Amino acid sequence: MANDSSDFLRSMSIATSGLRAQAGRMRVISENVANADSTAAKAGGDPYRRKVPTFTSALDRTLDAKVVALGRVVPDQSSFRVKYDPSNPAADATGNVKYPNVNPLIEMTDMRDAQRSYEANLNIIGATRRMIQRTLDILKT
Amino acid sequence: MSINDLPVLSALRTKMQWHQERQRVLAENVSNSDTPNFKPRDLVEPKFNSTGQAVGGFAPLSLTRTSAAHIVPSSGESASFDQNRKVGFQTRPAGNAVSLEEEMLKVSANQMDYAAATSLYGKSLHLLKTAIGKG
Repeated sequence: MANDSSDFLRSMSIATSGLRAQAGRMRVISENVANADSTAAKAGGDPYRRKVPTFTSALDRTLDAKVVALGRVVPDQSSFRVKYDPSNPAADATGNVKYPNVNPLIEMTDMRDAQRSYEANLNIIGATRRMIQRTLDILKT
Repeated sequence: MSINDLPVLSALRTKMQWHQERQRVLAENVSNSDTPNFKPRDLVEPKFNSTGQAVGGFAPLSLTRTSAAHIVPSSGESASFDQNRKVGFQTRPAGNAVSLEEEMLKVSANQMDYAAATSLYGKSLHLLKTAIGKG
């Protein structure tokens, strides 16, 4: 096996895949938060639709291990918020404006969750580095 | 008898390899902590007999490659150590059973045990040096 000598580096690569996936999730969340009040460009149109990140577990053949990857980013099909505001340029014929189906509370809790998972992966990298350091310390005795 | 064949050193080496493998399994669990239908895994601790040989559990049954065109068998599914699949006590609605707290606890325990094993390895080498009069 090509990877047997670098098992610690494999652990670190797996944790890195977790970091990357969580960072991608963070990007989608920030997109949702930034667009929380985006209305449609033309009158009566649909506004920004909330995006939901998904995770998939994939076998990395070069690492020979199960890594995590950001899957498809799927649109949230729940209904839009509707507000009566005839003066808004995006208002339809009845004077209603559709606002994005983004709930800041859900986005914030999702963000905390992503942050927590990110830190856990960082801890794995730190622990693995300390283990590599211990291995090298044998040389010093 | 070479230095590497000493029972204490080979036992410690097996133990260190086990910790290395376990660290990989735990890293997989943590990185997949948000993947739907993911079940966390762990390794069964190796047992040693009085001569320092690891006993029970891990006699790897590897696939034989009779042609160069065959795909190299995967070592990702734990090449030499038994897997303990009865882990995790709570499954979330998405089917994910990873508990980050539990995994972090295992990671720190794994790291500390590894540190202990490397210290013992270093001490054993030091003992050998003393025995040959260089200590």
